[in-house]
Amino acid sequence: MLFRRIYQFLIVYCLGVTGLLAIKYATGLSNYVIPDLTLLFDTARRMLTGYFFDVLNTLSVTVLGQMVSIFMAFFVGIIGRKSSWLGSFIKVMAYNIQAYPIVALAPIIFILMGDGFLSRLLIASMICYFPLLLSVLGIMASPIKDIEHFYIATGRMRWQLEVKIRAFENLNKLTTVIAGSATLAMAGTIVAEFIAADQGVGYSIRIALYQSDLARILVALFSIGIIISVYQGILETVGEQIKTKWFAPKGGELL
Amino acid sequence: MRFECRDLTFTYPEADNPVLENLTFSMAAPGFNAVFGPSGVGKTSFARILAGGNSGPGGNALIYEGIATILYSYNQERLPGWANTGRHLEKVCPQKNSDLKKELVKIFKVEAFLGSRFSQLSMGQQNRMNLIRYLIQDFDLLILDESLANVDEALRETIILAIKEIFPAKLFLYISHNLMEVARFCKDILVLSRPGKNKGAVVVPGQNYETGYTADPQAIDRSMLEIMNAV
Repeated sequence: MLFRRIYQFLIVYCLGVTGLLAIKYATGLSNYVIPDLTLLFDTARRMLTGYFFDVLNTLSVTVLGQMVSIFMAFFVGIIGRKSSWLGSFIKVMAYNIQAYPIVALAPIIFILMGDGFLSRLLIASMICYFPLLLSVLGIMASPIKDIEHFYIATGRMRWQLEVKIRAFENLNKLTTVIAGSATLAMAGTIVAEFIAADQGVGYSIRIALYQSDLARILVALFSIGIIISVYQGILETVGEQIKTKWFAPKGGELL
Repeated sequence: MRFECRDLTFTYPEADNPVLENLTFSMAAPGFNAVFGPSGVGKTSFARILAGGNSGPGGNALIYEGIATILYSYNQERLPGWANTGRHLEKVCPQKNSDLKKELVKIFKVEAFLGSRFSQLSMGQQNRMNLIRYLIQDFDLLILDESLANVDEALRETIILAIKEIFPAKLFLYISHNLMEVARFCKDILVLSRPGKNKGAVVVPGQNYETGYTADPQAIDRSMLEIMNAV
């Protein structure tokens, strides 16, 4: 899972760079516009370590932001699963807010909270929170009638059991959504760093952008890609391990 | 114990025709009774209405005397997959019924699967496991909606006879498409025909065989014919 993510990224990255080089040589562009491989490797040698730590800085905010989002999504999703007025209100609100591009609110957050860790964390959380919430709401609001019937009929149903049944039955969906939301949280953090932060890989890319240094941007993208692939791979591996531990071992599929 | 139904009519929301129309009957209670009829005639709808008790839709047409707890089990139910079936049975078994649980596990021949997860069992094993967890609950009326589907005939007979022996004071409504089985083992058989056939609901007496019975082929044929005529 982990290695598949990394080599898939490497393939896409190499294709992208090859495409850029093809444009460069086809149209005779200078190294100032699109760097050649020598300049790219030279920039990588100089900048990769620094960018690596910048991405780790961004990733730390991403992970924290994602954890906040997951916690919030489950908290609100569990409250909103009922077809009460509160549940309906939460669902309608989530659907409507989700339709709004949250990233557009980032300047307001920076105006109110200034540069720094909290602003980045808030934007990262907000960007991955709503898609997560919609998935969790959808899962938690869908009864698994074949399993729940007995517990309801015998008066044994408690909210904890209901949540456990629905989470267990949708474990695949949940792990996919959580792994996918890592990309959103990372994108949120980088966007926040683009706008106003003074740390992280987004901030470094902004500097490179102002210097029109595509080589640096490509190296930064490489660092981001590798680290997010490892992070997603770890999330998926953890999800797989939970599934293996929780689900029954299969004796093999005939068909 | 008394169980009656007077003029029960039920139409699903947005449906043009009622699935049950003027259903009126009374049944022997307690006992092992059945609901029989062709597919789509409304057996499951009827069972679900019964399970809702007096407070559910159509509940005012139902008269329950001495029946406080109604349970409804059906053949597609599942046990959660995070623990083995033995652990699930333990968790839902009232303390006072633990001996009953052991007895049923033996009769239903599921001892070997208590360590397995529900998804690892065959459909017949799953249905037996599901039925046990209902039988160890406190109930007055238990509706068995195809609850023994996919169980082989010999074991089904053993199970039905055991249920009749262990729970003589309870009322059972066994929904099945097996004409022979219903005719042999059930006390009263409610036969449902499609609405509009003007036949209404007919209660046919079955042979109500108990453990150690001697079958009377002619009597069984008679019951089967009566049931088929009522459909």
